[in-house]
Amino acid sequence: MKAQRGRFYPDAMDTWPEAKLRRYQLQRLRLVLQHARRGLSFYRQLYGEAKSRPGAVRSFEDFARLPTFTKKDVLDAIRNNKSFRTGIESRERADAGVLCMTSGTLGTSFLYLPRRWAEIRGDSLARAYWWAGLRPGMRMLMAAPAWHSLAVQETRVIHRLGVTCVVPWGTFLPRHASGFLAAIAEVRPDFVSIFLPMLYALLAECRRQNLRPADAFRSVQNVLVVGAPMTPLSRAKLREELGVKDLFEGLGNPEGLTAMECSHHGGHHIFVDCCYVEIIDPRSGAPLPAEKRGNVVITSLIPHGSAYIRYDTEDVGEILPGSCPCGRTWPLLEVYDRRVNAVEVARKEIFPYDVRLCVDKVPELIHIPFALLRGRGTAQLLKLKVQKPAGGAGEVLASRLKTHIKEALGVEARVEWTEELPQRWKGVAVIDEENEGRPRV
Amino acid sequence: MRKLKQLIGQASAAPFYQRKLAMISAGASSSLKAFTQKAPTTTLEELIAEKRATGDPYSSRWNKDRAPLVVFQLEYDSETSLYIGLGREELAGYAEALRRCWSLLGLRRGDGVGIFDYGTSPVSYLASSAFTPYLRRGAADALGCVVICNDGGANMSRRAVEIIKYVRPRILFLRSDCLHPFALEVEKESISLSDYTGALVAVENEAVLSTADREAYEKRLAVRIYRMLRIDAAMFLAVECPRCRLLHTWQDLFLVESPAQDNNEGANPGPTPLVITNWFAKSCPAIRYVSQVKATLEPAGCPRGPKDVRIAA
Ligand SMILES: [Zn+2]
Ligand SMILES: [Zn+2]
Repeated sequence: MKAQRGRFYPDAMDTWPEAKLRRYQLQRLRLVLQHARRGLSFYRQLYGEAKSRPGAVRSFEDFARLPTFTKKDVLDAIRNNKSFRTGIESRERADAGVLCMTSGTLGTSFLYLPRRWAEIRGDSLARAYWWAGLRPGMRMLMAAPAWHSLAVQETRVIHRLGVTCVVPWGTFLPRHASGFLAAIAEVRPDFVSIFLPMLYALLAECRRQNLRPADAFRSVQNVLVVGAPMTPLSRAKLREELGVKDLFEGLGNPEGLTAMECSHHGGHHIFVDCCYVEIIDPRSGAPLPAEKRGNVVITSLIPHGSAYIRYDTEDVGEILPGSCPCGRTWPLLEVYDRRVNAVEVARKEIFPYDVRLCVDKVPELIHIPFALLRGRGTAQLLKLKVQKPAGGAGEVLASRLKTHIKEALGVEARVEWTEELPQRWKGVAVIDEENEGRPRV
Repeated sequence: MRKLKQLIGQASAAPFYQRKLAMISAGASSSLKAFTQKAPTTTLEELIAEKRATGDPYSSRWNKDRAPLVVFQLEYDSETSLYIGLGREELAGYAEALRRCWSLLGLRRGDGVGIFDYGTSPVSYLASSAFTPYLRRGAADALGCVVICNDGGANMSRRAVEIIKYVRPRILFLRSDCLHPFALEVEKESISLSDYTGALVAVENEAVLSTADREAYEKRLAVRIYRMLRIDAAMFLAVECPRCRLLHTWQDLFLVESPAQDNNEGANPGPTPLVITNWFAKSCPAIRYVSQVKATLEPAGCPRGPKDVRIAA
């Protein structure tokens, strides 16, 4: 990043030739490994047990031989140590820091984020917001869940880009939707950064108040969403309903991933200045080439605070082939869902996102929540529960949906309509039938 | 009384106060006594009415041409949302108030601090420069503490207990309405809270946990509980002192009145609403804001802060 007339302006790193990027990343990986060898006991133990030699890493291939670890390993370390200190984090006593959390089905883990971490990661993220159209002097709406590292990063982005901000009361849960909507309509931000399920809750709140979403969002030029994937059709519908120029989807996790769409929306450019991403075969651990789905393994290139190195996120994703028409050389990533949300039908691994693409092809069903039903073992039929759309449901809609599913996924489907669906925290639900139909959260 | 003249001058640049203050005589700024007798008060109802009439999110209290750096929607149960605008000066003064609250509670360098409240509560957003843009120094930065926040919903109690168990904060600040679900979760986990934390601090906007409730929770959880008062519309903070158990606040940051008492007419009239004038909120002034908290002012003189203003609520 460099300053231009005293203001932040993204540098040309996002168009560096691939070879230059690779050299940069390898150098950063070695720096992070050096940091781990010096002070992070978690890695000393992990590499010691695996008889790995992080000091001998000279290439990406060497790096790929280091062991990976998962959230469960982190949670075990927290429980064993009876402390948030797992040895993944350095202690930078002179440098004021905060603790943030990640939450999930398995439990809460902690990240120690010193000021230097927030500066580096936040400055990197500022480029993403710049791509999405945030400019100096604009006003941005941000949620402020200070427990999450995105809030810490956004604080830096706002300061770095010289924008002002409005913060609605509460948090990004749907029960705070009316306050969020009021803040948008009354304080009139130019730019909105929001959790996708909350954006849907805002649309529902508009309907409840008999308000046209485009009127509420009149001041808003662009929206940046995180937290769940949008399909191309649902994006188009949202853009039309909100009357905004564009919606951008950001991907990320606090452990070390930032990836962001450009205006071509053909996947998420990986922010290679701060993260190194590998896709691996979940069974063998072998690296997978572009266009192959596997587990997303990330390494944070920031040698401060909590430093995640070859962390298997247990998300399923792939590197997309080819280059982006925008001219940026940062690779494109797509992440579909958590691996635990896979449903096996006719020996195929299907994710809610795959089904969402089909559901959205039926215009009456765009934005309509649905859930996949999962029985024990492999099924021959994809079973869906779909919330009845306002205009009513019926055999015709079900049959159109089944045709799209057959065409795109090659499996037969059974569609069941339901009045109200418990909406899972992130995106659509997978309901385990043997679990009394309770959605996983 | 330069400070008072300055405040009135700045406030008069905001349409809301321009109208209010136009009616008072110049003498009102000659002394604090004249000010408290002559300057009109501001109520929450007036702020709501002004917001509804003008559509101005700050109830016409913002007195600058340039937009505020940070705008917070406030936690009031009113039909229309209220907001405050903050510039660098407001953020610095407000965070200094929080730092003093933390110091009074004994927080020092190296201590862990947990906060079970929303990120939009001043108790959270003033805690660290990492949480709020343009805040140069939060309470944790100033004191060298490590802070961790949780969302303020009752359903986040389990995560609050995880913070207690794995971070062992010297103090956990929590919303009064989270005390009950938090206590249930502590009991479910059967942990002895005092093994993990020094004290809890129950915080509310324009209300204070009752003594009876405090005592009941102290007994139930076997841990000290202090109280903290937020008056968000006036950017005000006060915290209970571990020594004298009265709320302390600071006269260089706030002018605190308890009107009936100040009239000094015969017998003690009992608690009356606290009236707050904020000295540092220059861009979004709060002049003689009548809060919903009934209290009495007690004489200064606590060894923990001999000059601090003390409030019994
Ligand atoms: Zn692109
Ligand atoms: Zn005292």
